[in-house]
Amino acid sequence: MNDPNPAPPVIPTTMPSGQPAVSSAQPPPGANPEERAPIPNFAAAIEAILRQPRRVMYQLRQPRPGRLIAAMVFVSILCSLIYGIVVGTFSGGPQLWIAPAKIAAGLCVSALICLPSLYIFACLSGSQARLVEVVGLVAGLLMLMTVLLIGFAPVAWVFSQSTESVAAMGALHLVFWLISVSFGLRFLKAGFAHYNPAGDGLKVWIVIFLLVMVQMTTALRPIVGTADTFLPQEKKFFVSHWMECLKTGK
Amino acid sequence: MLLGGNPEALKDWAAGRETGRMLGYATVIFAGAGLYGAAMGYWRSPLQAGYNLLKFPLVILATAFGNALLNGMLAPLFGLNVRFRQSLMLVLMSFTIAAVVLGSFAPIVFFIIWNAPSLAGQTQVPWATYNFVQLTQVVIIAFAGTAANLRLLRLLQALSGSERVAHKVLFSWLAGNLFLGSQLCWILRPFIGSPGLPVEFLRPNAFQGNFYETVFHAISHLLSS
Repeated sequence: MNDPNPAPPVIPTTMPSGQPAVSSAQPPPGANPEERAPIPNFAAAIEAILRQPRRVMYQLRQPRPGRLIAAMVFVSILCSLIYGIVVGTFSGGPQLWIAPAKIAAGLCVSALICLPSLYIFACLSGSQARLVEVVGLVAGLLMLMTVLLIGFAPVAWVFSQSTESVAAMGALHLVFWLISVSFGLRFLKAGFAHYNPAGDGLKVWIVIFLLVMVQMTTALRPIVGTADTFLPQEKKFFVSHWMECLKTGK
Repeated sequence: MLLGGNPEALKDWAAGRETGRMLGYATVIFAGAGLYGAAMGYWRSPLQAGYNLLKFPLVILATAFGNALLNGMLAPLFGLNVRFRQSLMLVLMSFTIAAVVLGSFAPIVFFIIWNAPSLAGQTQVPWATYNFVQLTQVVIIAFAGTAANLRLLRLLQALSGSERVAHKVLFSWLAGNLFLGSQLCWILRPFIGSPGLPVEFLRPNAFQGNFYETVFHAISHLLSS
C-alpha cells in the first residue's frame, strides 16, 4: 500500500526558514521507531488511524504518500456507504441505495469544497505543510470519522427499527456524526500541530467545514426519510430545515 | 477471581484469546441475569418469570455485542491500547460480575416477591406493590452495576497506567452501553409487567417509538400540564 521500505528517510525537523517544524511539546512523528512502520494495506490503515495516528502522520510526510491517501479515501467511501445502508434501513425501499450514495457523495464533495481553503488558511498561518500532506490529513479525518460511524452503526440500526420519527432519527445520526467528526478533527489538529501552528486559521476552517457538512445534509435531503424526487426541489438553509422537521415532528 | 477484581490476574484473562472463557462469561450471564430476571417477573406471573429468564440475559449480551465495535474503537482513541477482542472481553467481564451479583440477589428478590401482596385475586390493581417492586429492582441493579464498573475501572487503570485514561474509557463505554441498553430494554419490555396489561413476551408495539422519545414526550406532557 505504502512505500515498502521499512525505514524511509526521516524528514528533517527544521525547516529552511529556520523555524522549528514541531511546535508542540510532542516529538515529531517518527521519533518512535514503531511509528515508522509502513502501512501496507487497508486494514493496517484503519488500525493505524485508531491506535497510532502518529504513524499515519509520519507516512504522510514521506515522499509519495499517494497510495496511503488513496487507501484512506477508499476506506472512507466504503465505510460511508455501509453506514448509509444502515441509514437507509429506516425508510427501506429505494433509500437503501439513495442514502449510501448521498452520504458518500456528500462527504467527498464537502471535503473537496473545503480542501482549498484549508490549504490557504494553513499557508496564511505559517504552516509548512505541503498540499499533499494537507490532503492526507483530510483523508485521515474522513477515514477516522467514517470508521467510527461504522462503530455506531449497530446502535443506529436498533433505533432505526424502533422509531417512525424522522426528526428523532435525524437527530441521532447527527449526534453520532458529531462525535465521529470531533475525533476526526482531533486527528487533523494533531497533524497540523507538528507543522508550524495553523493557529486560528485552523479553528475558522473547522467551523466552515462543519457548516458545509450540515448544509450538505440539507442540500441532499432527504437522507433519512423519503421524497418523490432524488434531490429537493426547494433550496433551504439547514437551520430552517431542522426547525421545520422539529415542528412537524417528522 | 472476577469478583475479587485483582487487576494483575484479570489482565491476563482479558488478554487471552480463549473462546471457552467467552462462552463461560455468556453462561454465567445467562444464569445470573436469567435467575434475577425470573425473580423480578415472578410477581406479575410465573409466565413472565419464564420470559425474563431469557430476555434479561439477552439485553446484557446484545448490549455487549452491539457496542463491541464502538467500544473497541473508543478505547485506543482515548489512549488505552487494547485490541478489539480485549475490549469485548473487558466489557463481558464487567457484565459477568454484574450478572453474578444480580444472581446472588435472586433468592432475596424471590423472598421479597413471595412476601409482597400477590397480584392474583386482587380486585384493585396494587400500584403501591408494583412501585415497590420497581424500586427494589432499580436499587439492586444499580448496586450490581456499580460493583461491576468499579472493578472494571481498576482493571482499566492497571491496563492503561493512567487514571485519566481509565476514567475516559470507562465513561465512554458506560455512555454507549447505557444508551443502547436502555433502548434494548424498551424493545424487550415488559420485564416486571404493568398490572393493567397482559403478560407477553414482547409488547405488540415493541418496535414503535423508543425509550428516549417516550421520556421526551413525558417531560413535555408534564411541563405543558
